[in-house]
Amino acid sequence: MVSCSKYPPASSRLLEDLAVLTQYDVNTNFGLCKTYSIVDSIYYITGKDSSMVLTPSARLVLNQIIGNMNARGFKQVAKSAKPDLGINIAAIKTTTTTIYYPGWYWGYPGYYSPGWWGYGNGYYYPYYPSYYTSYSAGTLVMEMVNFKAITPSGQVPVVWDVFIRGLFTSTHTSSDVTGAIDQSFAQNPTIKTSL
Amino acid sequence: MKNEKAMKKIFLFLMISLLVSGTVKAQQYDSKSSLGFKPSSYYSFGWNTLWTIGDFNKWVGNGSPAGFNLGGRYFIAGTNFAAGFNIQWQRVWQDYPAQTFYAANGIALTAMNYRFTWMVPFQAAVDYYFMPSKMISPYISLGIGGDYMEHHLLIQEYDISKTYWDFSLTPEIGALIKFGAFSNWGANIAFNYKWTTNRIDLYNGNALTNLQMLQLRIGLCMFIR
Repeated sequence: MVSCSKYPPASSRLLEDLAVLTQYDVNTNFGLCKTYSIVDSIYYITGKDSSMVLTPSARLVLNQIIGNMNARGFKQVAKSAKPDLGINIAAIKTTTTTIYYPGWYWGYPGYYSPGWWGYGNGYYYPYYPSYYTSYSAGTLVMEMVNFKAITPSGQVPVVWDVFIRGLFTSTHTSSDVTGAIDQSFAQNPTIKTSL
Repeated sequence: MKNEKAMKKIFLFLMISLLVSGTVKAQQYDSKSSLGFKPSSYYSFGWNTLWTIGDFNKWVGNGSPAGFNLGGRYFIAGTNFAAGFNIQWQRVWQDYPAQTFYAANGIALTAMNYRFTWMVPFQAAVDYYFMPSKMISPYISLGIGGDYMEHHLLIQEYDISKTYWDFSLTPEIGALIKFGAFSNWGANIAFNYKWTTNRIDLYNGNALTNLQMLQLRIGLCMFIR
């Protein structure tokens, strides 16, 4: 008999510890992408409110992602330089434990839409995305979008999703968070350019 | 989890019921006295500590003292052999910090995980006692039976579990120690190796098969003359 169900945690540490969930599109050849651009602040969602944040902690997160992308051979360019890849960052802290559909935050006003990047007509997943719950624990979301694979109808595919969960539980140091970002790259060695 | 608690309660109820019924029977024969005696049967209730070995040790590396055992033996007339049963409840567990699990469709998860297995072994056993009428009687035993095992992998708020029944063999060495030459009570100490056909396939996609363990049991025995 096999089962997979929600279960009261045997130890609260299971939820307090940072968890890194990633999913990439196995049909995307990341090696064919060379340039990328990243948003200049973190989109912060709390309940029904949202805002742009560029605190020292937010800068630390952005710089850590940039460092990892550069280490994988990608070249950072300005948004206006028509990058191959775009990276959106959001931090989410909700007060409910409702199960959300992946990409539910795309509809928030101010979220980095394809229009912000100057492209397309909405995002979509080219794969069946994992459901991720309990955003109440605090989640950092990183999405990589591929501007080289925009559909004829103008939709931009999200080719890599990173969820780092547990930001707002227990006490996590800056090195915990940057370590989790490093881990998201480490567990996805296919995210690198060959150009 | 509810199953586990319910099974634990049923197991404890059975043990207490058997011990109480055995006490009543023992009192009926207590007037007999001799220079030591060979019991006609005995019941034991023991505290069991388990150490995983082999593939099982890759799943949970800790030893676990969370176990109870109830046994009964009936001596075969005119021999030093006894036959009987063992029923047990046991749990092993361990926390593992930040491990990475890979799944299909490009999914990977790094998180602390908590693993545990709980089991209810039940076996028929045949023992040979070297000195069954003495105060200290060493013995060898072979148990044959099965186990009900539930293996759980907890990651964040999710519990991924799998249940297996199995066939098991348990060679054992041990000793019965009467508290006095005429006492109906004594202790049992036993050490055994257990081999099972049970398996775990929640471990990073690689099945762990033929789960094995070492066990030390210390218990209380009630002898029936």
